[in-house]
Amino acid sequence: MTPRTRKTLEFILDNLVWFMLLFVLIVFSALIPNYFQLGIFANIIEASSVLGVMSIGLSLVIIAGHMDLSVESVAALSAMAVGVLFCSAGIGLGIKLSPEWLMVPVSLMVALAVGGLIGLFNGFLIVKLKMNAFIITLASYIWVRGVVLAVSGGRSAQDLAPAIRWFAIQRLLGIPLTAWIAILCFVAFSVMMAKTRFGRHLMMIGGNETATFRAGIRVTRNLIIAFVLAGAIAGLSGWLLAIRTSGATANLGVGLLFNAFAAVVIGGVSLKGGIGALPGVYAGVLLLSSINTAINLMGLPANFTQVIHGFLVLAAVLLDTFKQRLRQRLA
Amino acid sequence: MREPLLVLDTIRKNFGAIEALKGITFSIGKGEVVALLGDNGAGKSTLVKIISGGLQPSSGRMLFEGEEFQAKTPAEAKDAGIETVYQDLSLCTNVDVVANFFMGREITRKILGVPFLDEKAMETVVQKALANAGTRIPSLRTKVEHLSGGQRQAIELNRFVHWGGKLVLLDEPFAALGVEQTRRGLDMIRQVADQGIGVVIITHIMQQAFQVADRIVVIRQGVVAGDVERSKTSPDAVIEMITGQNLAGAGPAGQ
Repeated sequence: MTPRTRKTLEFILDNLVWFMLLFVLIVFSALIPNYFQLGIFANIIEASSVLGVMSIGLSLVIIAGHMDLSVESVAALSAMAVGVLFCSAGIGLGIKLSPEWLMVPVSLMVALAVGGLIGLFNGFLIVKLKMNAFIITLASYIWVRGVVLAVSGGRSAQDLAPAIRWFAIQRLLGIPLTAWIAILCFVAFSVMMAKTRFGRHLMMIGGNETATFRAGIRVTRNLIIAFVLAGAIAGLSGWLLAIRTSGATANLGVGLLFNAFAAVVIGGVSLKGGIGALPGVYAGVLLLSSINTAINLMGLPANFTQVIHGFLVLAAVLLDTFKQRLRQRLA
Repeated sequence: MREPLLVLDTIRKNFGAIEALKGITFSIGKGEVVALLGDNGAGKSTLVKIISGGLQPSSGRMLFEGEEFQAKTPAEAKDAGIETVYQDLSLCTNVDVVANFFMGREITRKILGVPFLDEKAMETVVQKALANAGTRIPSLRTKVEHLSGGQRQAIELNRFVHWGGKLVLLDEPFAALGVEQTRRGLDMIRQVADQGIGVVIITHIMQQAFQVADRIVVIRQGVVAGDVERSKTSPDAVIEMITGQNLAGAGPAGQ
């Protein structure tokens, strides 16, 4: 094998999910009437913003060799906090701030703080007290959702303040600002993972924690920061969720966790840690979103979505194994 | 005798009821190569971990450059100038050679006040360091998982030679190396010691110990069973110290 073909092969392997996305889009555009429209593509991007942001946080923790099952509930609690404070109907308190735009940073801060605190709680128990990440975050997944139910009493908050809603309505290049926020997050965190010491350290901790500890990297601190970030990012996705739905319900975002997992795995992040990059995860999110859109357009019952997502995760894991075999042969 | 770099004074370590180290006392001079020998389970690796901050002693004290010293983490030991090469390799196989070489010491360059990794600068340094040591690795951007055992160990060895510090601890560094690479590794150790850096090397291979060490310290069942200058002993005498058949020639060197 010449070095050239080898390089090409490696490039394809590294960016496989993008080729899959392209392939799926072409096939759908060819086979499904009305799929090939700018509006549809804008919709795919828009629909993937909440899931996309959530997947970033999840990826960070998984790349560092851990796990966070609580992101979905954290997003719901952040959305509920924003909803209760700034919605004017239902259980909303309808707090008004003047000038009105002040509600944007305040609500964002609330969402980030709620998420960050739960992340800190998870991180402390898992990293400092060395408890199992799966169990701790499973517990958080349950109790945080419980808090959402308790706070809302099972009711919902509607009519989010227009100043905040503005982000869902205002468009730039045909795409709403909420989606731009997701894209911006992907760019920022991709750069963080690939080009900063912190990102490099997370990657190496996921690869061999003992080695990084021996090399003098502050493993405990870095991991706790990763959990706080995952929580805060989940909080941000909750903020976006509240904006998208103009409020919050007690069962907001149920099932997002598994979609996020699917996106992360399809995007090439290995559950064993230390492998994967965020641009791939975004492609994974877009892939899921394009398939959802196709299901909608074909008029299939929405219940099939879950079956297809399940098989997609399976396919992603199979693909991951296949890729690793191929890479070993390349080396 | 040389100026002492690290002095160990009755270091003890218990793991529950088991006493792994029962009062270890010896010292390492500047620019001196000390071979630490002993049977499996004698406590060599435990001792290395205590010096490098991976474990805390149950009692005893250490003097590093004449001052009371006790590293609580490997980071502290590193800051003090103690480098360690472990027997189970400390490489992250999921990242490339450059990232491993600079693990925890990445060079950054500020762009708009934010420090970003300076990959080019790091790659240049690694290229130079590996070339100096005569280690050939096809691409510095390959992930370490695709490299052979020998290449991996070469990276570890070059890493300690490059970063140097004041004291280097090597826990069976040549386990996976071929004949030629081992010879080169031993040369590296000599070079490092000639710069005035203290070296402690753990090995099972008597020949290596006699090839490179100035002094041989034998640990048996958690105590120092022998501490002799290389020129004043023989492999047979050392083997007897290791197995405990004879304590002739034991006692601190140079007294």
